Amino acid sequence: MSRFRPTFFIPLIAFLGLMVIGGLALQGTLSGSRNPNQLPSVLIGKPAPDVPLPLLQNSRAELALDVYRGQTLLVNFFASWCAPCRAEAPALEHLSNQISIIGIAYKDRPEDTLQFLEQYGNPFAAIGRDDDGRAGMAWGVYGVPETYLIDPSGEIKWRHAGPLTRDVITTQLLAKLAEMQ
Amino acid sequence: MIRSRLYILLIGVFVIGAGTLTLPLVGTATAITAEEMLADPLLENRARNLSQKLRCLVCQNQSIDDSDADLAKDLRREVRAQLVQGKTDEAILSDLRAKYGDFVLLAPPMAKNTMALWLAPIGFLLLGIGITLGVRRRTTLPSPSPISHADRAQIETLKQNHKKASKHDQPWL
Repeated sequence: MSRFRPTFFIPLIAFLGLMVIGGLALQGTLSGSRNPNQLPSVLIGKPAPDVPLPLLQNSRAELALDVYRGQTLLVNFFASWCAPCRAEAPALEHLSNQISIIGIAYKDRPEDTLQFLEQYGNPFAAIGRDDDGRAGMAWGVYGVPETYLIDPSGEIKWRHAGPLTRDVITTQLLAKLAEMQ
Repeated sequence: MIRSRLYILLIGVFVIGAGTLTLPLVGTATAITAEEMLADPLLENRARNLSQKLRCLVCQNQSIDDSDADLAKDLRREVRAQLVQGKTDEAILSDLRAKYGDFVLLAPPMAKNTMALWLAPIGFLLLGIGITLGVRRRTTLPSPSPISHADRAQIETLKQNHKKASKHDQPWL
């Protein structure tokens, strides 16, 4: 080599750069810290939306989250037509022993919701009906199931889109609960 | 010469290919149904405009105007409901941003964390221009090879001879 040619190295450096970016993305995906399907909620740290909803069992009465002010709360959007909701039913049942869970039936028919609860168990302290999905929109729900963790002051602390798996509960939810105490 | 023609040909093929691939995307039928539409054509027009700027969060790469997903339908209805209430376009967009985050906008807003995204194309363009100019300069102007002592001596004698010759034979110069 009689002459040093810097342009010769440009594609090489660009390629190495791409490899580093790809490697980081892959590592994030494998370790679970980066999930492209999981959109971050912008409501974290904000007060839970206050959308009045009729109760499932008594549509004349309204579901009021204020009543639960002072305690830690899970709010779970579910529907009878949603398969992952069936999958997470045992997990919710288990969680209901240590934390109050409010269910919101998202775009469901009341009779279907009731049948779903009969079949898969009812872990909910109260259930609201979001027939047209308007409450879901206020909460930033983009699919069911979605679960929100509300602190005693009524602030959203954590959100998970998708079913609550054992992994999500232990590594995220329980960790967050421990952190709050 | 042949090589550069080949490059131009390749670029041409690429552009034409990209054009034919995106052509079907232009003017495709939208997912909107007749009963969703607003009676007021002005409001409906604004609704369509807004819908094209909003992302369907389920399909993630379609606007709510294009998507058949339930959530897209709900968002279209919400946009129209807010328009009927007399809200401005900006107010509607910022309301949905407050619920779903920046991701709901198909065009990411200019912000600190999106600067790289916005500036990268300009950066790459400048880089490309730089590389092109650099390569061109080298190919059109090859760096001169150093002149050896023997060559220099020969040049000097030629110059001297030329001077002498011009003095004698070309007095008009």
